[in-house]
Amino acid sequence: MEIVIASGKGGVGKSTFTGSLISLLKDLKIAAVDADAEAPNLHLVLNVEKWDSERDVIAAKGATITDKCINCRVCDNVCIYEAIYVENETHKIKEYLCEGCGACKAVCPVEGAIIISDTVSGWIRTANTKYGPLVSAELDVGKPNSGKLVTEEKNIAKEWVKEGKAEHVIVDSAAGIGCQVIASLSGANKALLIAEPTPSSLNDLKRVYWLAQHFRIPSYIIINKDGMNPGYKGIEKFAEENDVEIIGRIPYDPSIPKSLASMRPLVEYAPDSPASKEIKRIAQIVRGWLND
Amino acid sequence: MRAMKITVTGGKGGTGKSTVATNLALLLSKKYKVVFVDADVECPNDHILLSANLENEEDVKLFKPKFDYSKCTKCGLCVQNCSENALLQFKEGYPFLMPTLCSGCRTCQLVCPVEGAILDDYRLVGHTYRTKVRDNLELVTGVLGEGEERSYPTVLAARQRAMNIDANIYLFDTMPGTGNHVAAAIEDSDVVITVTEPTPLGRHDLEMILKLLKKLKLKAWVVINRSDIGSISHEDILKNYDAEIIAEIPMLDEILKSYVSGVPVVEKFPDSRATKIFEDIAKRIEEVF
Repeated sequence: MEIVIASGKGGVGKSTFTGSLISLLKDLKIAAVDADAEAPNLHLVLNVEKWDSERDVIAAKGATITDKCINCRVCDNVCIYEAIYVENETHKIKEYLCEGCGACKAVCPVEGAIIISDTVSGWIRTANTKYGPLVSAELDVGKPNSGKLVTEEKNIAKEWVKEGKAEHVIVDSAAGIGCQVIASLSGANKALLIAEPTPSSLNDLKRVYWLAQHFRIPSYIIINKDGMNPGYKGIEKFAEENDVEIIGRIPYDPSIPKSLASMRPLVEYAPDSPASKEIKRIAQIVRGWLND
Repeated sequence: MRAMKITVTGGKGGTGKSTVATNLALLLSKKYKVVFVDADVECPNDHILLSANLENEEDVKLFKPKFDYSKCTKCGLCVQNCSENALLQFKEGYPFLMPTLCSGCRTCQLVCPVEGAILDDYRLVGHTYRTKVRDNLELVTGVLGEGEERSYPTVLAARQRAMNIDANIYLFDTMPGTGNHVAAAIEDSDVVITVTEPTPLGRHDLEMILKLLKKLKLKAWVVINRSDIGSISHEDILKNYDAEIIAEIPMLDEILKSYVSGVPVVEKFPDSRATKIFEDIAKRIEEVF
């Protein structure tokens, strides 16, 4: 089974929750996927000290302008990414904006003035943690297509399942609703949507819920930092209106930042804290799904 | 007076980017004409923090090819040159588009040797909004269409719409992350503020955003939010990048209370400690100005 943790809004506790969930379910042979290539953090929660493998990922192309360029200005307005600029009468490309689509090369009248080549988009790393195998990706900053890195990561995790190295996959998705989150949700069996009790989080929850519905993935809500905004019932109201089950309410807990500093899952750092107790209860529900 | 661009970013999500950006926008708008740009198009929330309803909707449209098969010679050039593999052509058949993969780059049309075989069509990928929030403060918001993978075109559309408004200060609030959709919001900034939190996670992602700023040849003002939730050294990071810590914001009751009330702290609690911190940052920005 493949379970995705998503939230729309960043910083609501996805990686903290995922780390604890994986720790609690490790006997079920979980492959962990850190699907936030633009800000990967799960390895810090699962206390990875060294990576077992690292490889380059070529997920995009990039354009370079050579000294054959005659500055004819034909390519000036074709780039939809606005990556081409002129400095001191010379054409240049902002590599941090270019997606390598080749539109500039298509209009360029001079053979060899623009070269489109593969670029390293980022790196995929794996580690055997004490909780099972982890695959993590890091996008080279400023590059496009982080979603393609996520798709590759998930393929590795699926390979682990095929080989018997793991039985289930848990994906810790990125914030937002773009390519990384779409790649995370695609093909998943269930989505756990984490929200905190604030209007901003609700707004983002609605968007990621819509996406999960679009993929027909059964979704469940977990309220994190419950109690930080007493009296606010926005998440509950949304859940009721859309008939989504709230399967847990993790109380606001000041020991969480300390567990992050310790680089250990919360349920190990503070096993008897109210937050850990609730996460353990939620993990039992997830265990039931995985055993089904 | 030259216009100035300020960007608030951070790498990690939920560090307080929008809180910092919203409060700075309000403070700066007391003296200057400010255009505040919510470039977190995947999950825009600045209007919620300002209790504003989004107004003046405009579509963000992306080119997509439309084939005139009466003219197409099935030469296959468009298919070969599509970097997104969005065009398919089976043996002897005409090329056709898988719309969700198309990036709108137009390369197919540019390489097509037959005039008029590939025509212009468009698909809707998002919206932008322009909302008057206070005197001297307008909010431009990009909202990515749900189900759309590419946030970049909507970020660019919001940027364009904002920069077409006459103002003294353009203040951008980016999405989390470090990809090119974030770079597009940051580039050309006069001041970049990176909001982080003192945890290993915050520090890791701070370093990623500083790497991006290095590529963009920009200096960073680091704001450590929730500075009292942990202690972590940033010394090595500050040494390796052009970055300086300009403010630390502890966990303050007034920030949480204002956050959930929909009235930013500088308005709800104008005499509070939090407001004083934001005023100090605004003052620093003015000095650059």
